[in-house]
Amino acid sequence: MKSIFVLLVLAASLAVANTLPSEKRKNGPLIQEALSPVQIALQESSAAFYNNETSSPFLYGTVVSQDGLILTKASELEQVKDFHVRVGTKKYRDPKVLGSDEVWDVALVRIEAEGLTPVKMGETAEFPHGTWVVSNGSTERRFRRPRPGIISANKREVPVPGGVVLGVELKEEQGGLVIGKVTENSGAEKAGLKPGDLIVGIDENPVKKRADLIKKFKDEKEGNLVRLKVKREEEELSIEVELMSREKLYGRQMTRNDQLSGGDLQQSDRRTGFPMIIQHETMLTRYEVGGPVFTLDQQFVGMNIAAVNRVEAFAIPSEELPDILAELKKSAQ
Amino acid sequence: MTRIKSYPLPMRFAGITVLAILAFSAAAARADRPALNDKPTPRTLGDFREIQKALQSHLERTRAATVCLEVAGSSGSAVIISEDGLVLTAAHVTGKVGAEMTVVMEDGRKLKGKSLGLNSETDSAMLQIEEEGPFPFVDVDLKDTTRLGDWVYSLGHSGGFDKERGINVRIGRLVREAESTIQSDCMLIGGDSGGPLFNLNGQLIGIHSRVGASREESMHVPIREFQRHWDDLKKGEFIGNGGFAQKVVPGSGFLGIITDASTGGGLRVIEIWAKGPAEEAGLKVGDRIVAVDGKEATQEILEGRLAEIGEGDKITLKWISGGETIEKEITLGKRP
Repeated sequence: MKSIFVLLVLAASLAVANTLPSEKRKNGPLIQEALSPVQIALQESSAAFYNNETSSPFLYGTVVSQDGLILTKASELEQVKDFHVRVGTKKYRDPKVLGSDEVWDVALVRIEAEGLTPVKMGETAEFPHGTWVVSNGSTERRFRRPRPGIISANKREVPVPGGVVLGVELKEEQGGLVIGKVTENSGAEKAGLKPGDLIVGIDENPVKKRADLIKKFKDEKEGNLVRLKVKREEEELSIEVELMSREKLYGRQMTRNDQLSGGDLQQSDRRTGFPMIIQHETMLTRYEVGGPVFTLDQQFVGMNIAAVNRVEAFAIPSEELPDILAELKKSAQ
Repeated sequence: MTRIKSYPLPMRFAGITVLAILAFSAAAARADRPALNDKPTPRTLGDFREIQKALQSHLERTRAATVCLEVAGSSGSAVIISEDGLVLTAAHVTGKVGAEMTVVMEDGRKLKGKSLGLNSETDSAMLQIEEEGPFPFVDVDLKDTTRLGDWVYSLGHSGGFDKERGINVRIGRLVREAESTIQSDCMLIGGDSGGPLFNLNGQLIGIHSRVGASREESMHVPIREFQRHWDDLKKGEFIGNGGFAQKVVPGSGFLGIITDASTGGGLRVIEIWAKGPAEEAGLKVGDRIVAVDGKEATQEILEGRLAEIGEGDKITLKWISGGETIEKEITLGKRP
């Protein structure tokens, strides 16, 4: 696909227009006001990160323990060295970065606090398209503004363009990755991998989740060989597979329309390479990710991880966060 | 809400009659509209849930009828409105009348389609799927019941077809109205062009056309604009002289050969333009062209045909090359 039809950018000049006042629009203050029950959950379980040099907020975080552990977007946090954090209406002067996870682009931060209200992460739930979700929009020192959106596309992996692949569809099941379809002419097919095979290891490392493969593939090149530990029925096999370029095997990634971003958008630098995301259409900028996403019932959906383009925001699903947190805590010790 | 099987034709949608229907339906329409649309804004979470419930109840059916259009290496969106495959989209997506394009369903199934008419001034266009139906299709808000402030949702293959991601859905309100354009705050991006905008009854109310400077300004062609020119669009007329599509200029196309009458009949290729459309199609100096669009090849026939069609149009040539007969459709390039 060479290009996509680009919507012509025109100044909104509708003659004889009949106009809805901005306070009543989707992102207007009257809608925000009606979301106040969800705002309370956001206010309690969000952290707002402030740059000490400019005194401006630059990122949100998600509170994951009563005693001050916060998850946020690592690549965005790295860009500011001197910062403080606000949770609820309180200011915390000395946050400490305990570590970060490169695959998910998540950092763990500790503040000296007690009695915080962590999000209830770990619940696996499917949120169908069209489900309202609420994120942090802009912030004041003592008040986080809720911003609404809906679940807008399929939950999925978002690969790094130009990365390497085995050439199989994978599902996290039975304590490993079960192979669905095997792509024709892929390294996987040539090595004799079959649908139903269970991948449990790669080279010397165990494989339990999609993230384990992605972490391994980050530093691999096209043509490299990896040795998979595979369970097929009763047998345990060791199979060598040649990695192939994703673009060569599946065709070029679509242009993501970054040029159509419009003047009001600042998108996240890191916005691909996530093992699993929930997509929603809440209007966020790179400075508004890191915080929690809730349903109208204040169920925790996940943590915003990227403002992708004009129309897409990605969140890490709730059920992925306990493992990410556990790994980060382990490596921080 | 009227569900249409084969699209009823639209003498009654044309001209003055449309205005009459508009005026008369304003009051009658109220009953069809979800009550939440008549609240100035949602007040409680219950109001939001009502919006969500209405949208989700129509999503499966409206997604099934929303398609990706692949046109000459580019892609846009469109929506099927009848069981036999009549499709509405934007003029800047089809680009011209009578052009072949690929219609991709959400599950990846590819169908052949041909563009019908378009309005180059308002960005409306029609297309026909040229395969056996029945196809999934959506209801159209023919009575124009949607009002300023109503909650609406958009569908589209943003950025092109992506099977893993699927169709994108976005929500907003109708924030501005003019006769031939409606504006919503459903966000759009390239590739959404030509895709559908629905009210909370799941009825098609507009087609995505263009965006403003901010992410919250999206323009759509309203259904009434399609109704106004329904017959002409369906007949394959090129309407107006606007910025959304350019008419093919007859004689503007370039084939890239010079020919001479051949002794054995037909036309002998005596010169060929390097990397021109003819050479790309495999024609060589010395080849003998025997037919042009099914007619016996003469200098007059070939020149006459090239004077009728233009850049981007297709011409079918049959020629003999080293004892082998070849027939190919060649797309004309731009005259250098």
